[in-house]
Amino acid sequence: MKILAVCQSGLGSSFMVQMNIQQVLKDENVQEEITVDHSDVGSATADAADYFFVESTLEGALSGIPDEKIVPLKSLIDKDEIKTHINGVLDKENIVHE
Amino acid sequence: MLDELLTKDTIQIYKQPDLSWQEAIRKAAQPLIENGSIGPEYVNAMIEIANEQGPYFNIGDHIALAHARPEAGSHKISLSLLKTTHDVNLINEDHPVSLWFVLAATDSQSHLEVIQGLMQLLTDNDKLQKLLTATDVTEIQKVINEDIKENKS
Repeated sequence: MKILAVCQSGLGSSFMVQMNIQQVLKDENVQEEITVDHSDVGSATADAADYFFVESTLEGALSGIPDEKIVPLKSLIDKDEIKTHINGVLDKENIVHE
Repeated sequence: MLDELLTKDTIQIYKQPDLSWQEAIRKAAQPLIENGSIGPEYVNAMIEIANEQGPYFNIGDHIALAHARPEAGSHKISLSLLKTTHDVNLINEDHPVSLWFVLAATDSQSHLEVIQGLMQLLTDNDKLQKLLTATDVTEIQKVINEDIKENKS
Protein backbone atom coordinates (compact mmCIF):
# COMPACT_ATOMS: atom_id res chain seq x y z
CA MET A 1 0.00 0.00 0.00
CA LYS A 2 1.13 3.53 -0.66
CA ILE A 3 0.16 6.77 1.06
CA LEU A 4 1.02 10.10 -0.51
CA ALA A 5 1.08 13.33 1.49
CA VAL A 6 0.24 16.20 -0.81
CA CYS A 7 0.65 19.96 -0.49
CA GLN A 8 0.62 22.92 -2.81
CA SER A 9 4.35 23.10 -3.44
CA GLY A 10 5.38 19.58 -2.46
CA LEU A 11 8.15 21.04 -0.35
CA GLY A 12 7.32 21.65 3.24
CA SER A 13 3.91 20.82 4.54
CA SER A 14 3.58 17.52 2.71
CA PHE A 15 6.87 16.37 4.20
CA MET A 16 5.57 17.24 7.66
CA VAL A 17 2.53 15.08 7.04
CA GLN A 18 4.73 12.27 5.69
CA MET A 19 6.83 12.34 8.87
CA ASN A 20 3.73 12.28 11.05
CA ILE A 21 2.22 9.38 9.12
CA GLN A 22 5.45 7.41 9.43
CA GLN A 23 5.56 8.12 13.14
CA VAL A 24 1.97 6.93 13.60
CA LEU A 25 2.63 3.73 11.61
CA LYS A 26 5.59 3.07 13.88
CA ASP A 27 3.61 3.83 17.03
CA GLU A 28 0.83 1.53 15.84
CA ASN A 29 3.39 -1.19 15.29
CA VAL A 30 2.30 -1.82 11.71
CA GLN A 31 4.31 -4.66 10.19
CA GLU A 32 2.85 -4.55 6.72
CA GLU A 33 4.93 -2.74 4.11
CA ILE A 34 3.46 0.73 3.61
CA THR A 35 5.23 3.29 1.46
CA VAL A 36 4.84 6.92 2.45
CA ASP A 37 5.98 9.76 0.22
CA HIS A 38 5.17 13.41 -0.43
CA SER A 39 4.52 15.44 -3.55
CA ASP A 40 2.94 18.61 -4.89
CA VAL A 41 -0.69 18.79 -5.87
CA GLY A 42 0.08 19.00 -9.59
CA SER A 43 1.96 15.71 -9.76
CA ALA A 44 -0.50 13.74 -7.63
CA THR A 45 -2.35 11.51 -10.09
CA ALA A 46 -4.92 8.88 -9.13
CA ASP A 47 -2.53 5.97 -9.76
CA ALA A 48 0.29 7.53 -7.69
CA ALA A 49 -0.99 6.12 -4.39
CA ASP A 50 -3.81 4.33 -2.61
CA TYR A 51 -4.52 7.21 -0.25
CA PHE A 52 -3.84 10.92 -0.50
CA PHE A 53 -3.48 12.96 2.70
CA VAL A 54 -4.03 16.64 1.99
CA GLU A 55 -4.64 19.90 3.86
CA SER A 56 -8.42 20.40 3.65
CA THR A 57 -8.38 23.70 1.70
CA LEU A 58 -6.47 21.95 -1.09
CA GLU A 59 -8.91 19.08 -1.40
CA GLY A 60 -10.56 20.66 -4.44
CA ALA A 61 -7.24 20.87 -6.27
CA LEU A 62 -6.99 17.06 -6.36
CA SER A 63 -9.28 16.70 -9.32
CA GLY A 64 -9.36 13.31 -10.97
CA ILE A 65 -8.71 11.47 -7.73
CA PRO A 66 -11.70 9.54 -6.35
CA ASP A 67 -13.09 11.00 -3.11
CA GLU A 68 -12.68 7.73 -1.20
CA LYS A 69 -8.91 7.92 -1.73
CA ILE A 70 -8.64 11.45 -0.33
CA VAL A 71 -8.11 12.12 3.36
CA PRO A 72 -8.53 15.85 4.15
CA LEU A 73 -6.65 17.19 7.20
CA LYS A 74 -7.65 20.19 9.29
CA SER A 75 -4.22 20.46 10.88
CA LEU A 76 -0.97 19.13 9.49
CA ILE A 77 0.79 19.04 12.83
CA ASP A 78 -1.90 17.47 14.97
CA LYS A 79 -0.66 13.91 15.47
CA ASP A 80 -3.97 12.83 17.01
CA GLU A 81 -5.89 13.86 13.92
CA ILE A 82 -3.45 12.02 11.65
CA LYS A 83 -3.58 8.98 13.91
CA THR A 84 -7.37 8.85 13.70
CA HIS A 85 -7.23 8.96 9.91
CA ILE A 86 -4.43 6.41 9.65
CA ASN A 87 -6.27 3.99 11.91
CA GLY A 88 -9.34 4.46 9.73
CA VAL A 89 -7.33 3.56 6.64
CA LEU A 90 -5.69 0.57 8.35
CA ASP A 91 -9.06 -0.78 9.47
CA LYS A 92 -10.52 -0.32 6.02
CA GLU A 93 -7.60 -2.22 4.49
CA ASN A 94 -7.68 -4.91 7.19
CA ILE A 95 -4.13 -4.17 8.23
CA VAL A 96 -3.19 -5.25 11.72
CA HIS A 97 -2.22 -2.47 14.14
CA GLU A 98 -2.31 -1.74 17.85
CA MET B 1 19.55 23.84 13.16
CA LEU B 2 16.50 25.84 14.25
CA ASP B 3 18.55 27.92 16.64
CA GLU B 4 20.95 28.81 13.83
CA LEU B 5 18.13 30.05 11.63
CA LEU B 6 15.79 31.53 14.22
CA THR B 7 17.88 34.17 15.95
CA LYS B 8 17.28 37.57 17.50
CA ASP B 9 17.63 38.97 13.98
CA THR B 10 15.03 36.71 12.35
CA ILE B 11 12.45 36.53 15.16
CA GLN B 12 10.15 39.51 15.55
CA ILE B 13 7.22 40.40 17.76
CA TYR B 14 4.47 42.72 16.59
CA LYS B 15 2.06 44.10 19.16
CA GLN B 16 -0.29 46.33 17.17
CA PRO B 17 -3.66 44.99 15.96
CA ASP B 18 -3.45 46.65 12.54
CA LEU B 19 -1.80 44.09 10.21
CA SER B 20 -3.36 42.45 7.18
CA TRP B 21 -2.21 38.93 6.36
CA GLN B 22 -0.22 40.26 3.40
CA GLU B 23 1.55 42.74 5.67
CA ALA B 24 2.19 40.00 8.22
CA ILE B 25 3.93 37.86 5.58
CA ARG B 26 5.92 40.85 4.30
CA LYS B 27 6.96 41.78 7.79
CA ALA B 28 7.85 38.20 8.72
CA ALA B 29 10.00 37.90 5.59
CA GLN B 30 11.78 41.26 5.94
CA PRO B 31 14.79 39.95 7.94
CA LEU B 32 15.41 37.33 5.24
CA ILE B 33 15.48 40.00 2.55
CA GLU B 34 17.86 42.04 4.67
CA ASN B 35 20.28 39.16 5.22
CA GLY B 36 20.17 38.20 1.55
CA SER B 37 18.44 34.83 1.95
CA ILE B 38 15.54 35.75 -0.32
CA GLY B 39 14.71 38.41 -2.87
CA PRO B 40 11.57 40.58 -2.66
CA GLU B 41 10.08 38.54 -5.52
CA TYR B 42 9.96 35.51 -3.20
CA VAL B 43 7.68 37.45 -0.86
CA ASN B 44 5.39 38.42 -3.71
CA ALA B 45 5.27 34.78 -4.81
CA MET B 46 4.16 33.62 -1.33
CA ILE B 47 1.36 36.19 -1.25
CA GLU B 48 0.30 35.38 -4.78
CA ILE B 49 0.14 31.64 -4.02
CA ALA B 50 -2.04 32.28 -0.97
CA ASN B 51 -4.29 34.55 -3.03
CA GLU B 52 -4.70 31.91 -5.68
CA GLN B 53 -4.70 28.72 -3.67
CA GLY B 54 -6.20 29.81 -0.39
CA PRO B 55 -4.89 29.53 3.16
CA TYR B 56 -3.23 26.16 2.71
CA PHE B 57 -0.13 27.17 4.63
CA ASN B 58 -2.15 27.50 7.80
CA ILE B 59 -0.54 24.26 8.91
CA GLY B 60 -2.01 24.10 12.38
CA ASP B 61 -4.07 26.11 14.81
CA HIS B 62 -2.70 29.70 14.76
CA ILE B 63 0.37 28.69 12.75
CA ALA B 64 1.26 29.73 9.22
CA LEU B 65 4.27 28.36 7.37
CA ALA B 66 4.56 30.62 4.35
CA HIS B 67 6.78 29.47 1.52
CA ALA B 68 7.05 29.44 -2.25
CA ARG B 69 9.02 27.40 -4.74
CA PRO B 70 12.82 27.83 -4.51
CA GLU B 71 12.96 29.25 -8.04
CA ALA B 72 10.69 32.10 -6.95
CA GLY B 73 13.73 33.83 -5.47
CA SER B 74 15.25 31.99 -2.54
CA HIS B 75 19.04 32.07 -2.27
CA LYS B 76 19.62 29.92 0.78
CA ILE B 77 17.84 27.80 3.36
CA SER B 78 16.31 30.19 5.79
CA LEU B 79 13.54 30.58 8.30
CA SER B 80 12.06 33.55 10.09
CA LEU B 81 9.26 34.03 12.59
CA LEU B 82 6.88 36.87 13.28
CA LYS B 83 4.75 36.56 16.38
CA THR B 84 1.71 38.83 16.34
CA THR B 85 0.23 39.32 19.77
CA HIS B 86 -3.13 39.87 18.02
CA ASP B 87 -4.54 37.26 15.67
CA VAL B 88 -4.39 38.14 11.98
CA ASN B 89 -6.86 36.37 9.69
CA LEU B 90 -5.15 34.52 6.85
CA ILE B 91 -7.54 35.06 3.89
CA ASN B 92 -10.65 34.70 6.09
CA GLU B 93 -11.78 34.44 9.71
CA ASP B 94 -11.61 30.65 9.68
CA HIS B 95 -7.84 30.96 9.71
CA PRO B 96 -6.65 33.20 12.55
CA VAL B 97 -2.86 33.15 12.82
CA SER B 98 -0.39 34.51 15.36
CA LEU B 99 2.79 32.56 14.51
CA TRP B 100 4.00 33.48 11.04
CA PHE B 101 6.91 31.37 9.84
CA VAL B 102 8.56 32.11 6.51
CA LEU B 103 10.56 29.27 5.00
CA ALA B 104 12.86 29.43 2.01
CA ALA B 105 14.54 26.38 0.50
CA THR B 106 17.00 26.00 -2.34
CA ASP B 107 15.89 22.58 -3.57
CA SER B 108 13.40 19.96 -2.48
CA GLN B 109 15.80 18.17 -0.10
CA SER B 110 17.95 20.72 1.72
CA HIS B 111 15.27 22.11 4.00
CA LEU B 112 13.95 18.78 5.26
CA GLU B 113 16.08 18.98 8.38
CA VAL B 114 14.61 22.40 9.14
CA ILE B 115 11.09 21.05 8.72
CA GLN B 116 11.92 18.14 10.99
CA GLY B 117 13.13 20.49 13.68
CA LEU B 118 10.13 22.71 13.29
CA MET B 119 7.75 19.77 13.52
CA GLN B 120 9.39 18.52 16.66
CA LEU B 121 8.89 21.93 18.21
CA LEU B 122 5.32 22.49 17.06
CA THR B 123 3.98 19.04 17.92
CA ASP B 124 5.11 19.54 21.51
CA ASN B 125 1.99 21.08 23.04
CA ASP B 126 3.70 22.69 26.03
CA LYS B 127 6.22 24.42 23.82
CA LEU B 128 3.60 25.45 21.31
CA GLN B 129 1.56 27.05 24.09
CA LYS B 130 4.65 28.94 25.23
CA LEU B 131 5.22 30.21 21.71
CA LEU B 132 1.59 31.24 21.35
CA THR B 133 1.70 33.25 24.57
CA ALA B 134 5.22 34.67 24.19
CA THR B 135 5.50 38.43 24.15
CA ASP B 136 9.20 38.94 23.55
CA VAL B 137 11.96 37.55 21.37
CA THR B 138 14.05 36.17 24.23
CA GLU B 139 11.12 34.06 25.42
CA ILE B 140 10.78 32.51 21.98
CA GLN B 141 14.50 31.83 21.73
CA LYS B 142 14.39 30.15 25.11
CA VAL B 143 11.68 27.73 23.98
CA ILE B 144 13.62 26.88 20.81
CA ASN B 145 16.87 26.30 22.68
CA GLU B 146 15.14 24.14 25.29
CA ASP B 147 13.67 22.01 22.52
CA ILE B 148 17.03 21.52 20.86
CA LYS B 149 18.73 20.60 24.11
CA GLU B 150 16.08 18.01 24.99
CA ASN B 151 16.20 16.34 21.63
CA LYS B 152 19.96 16.13 21.54
CA SER B 153 20.27 14.31 24.80
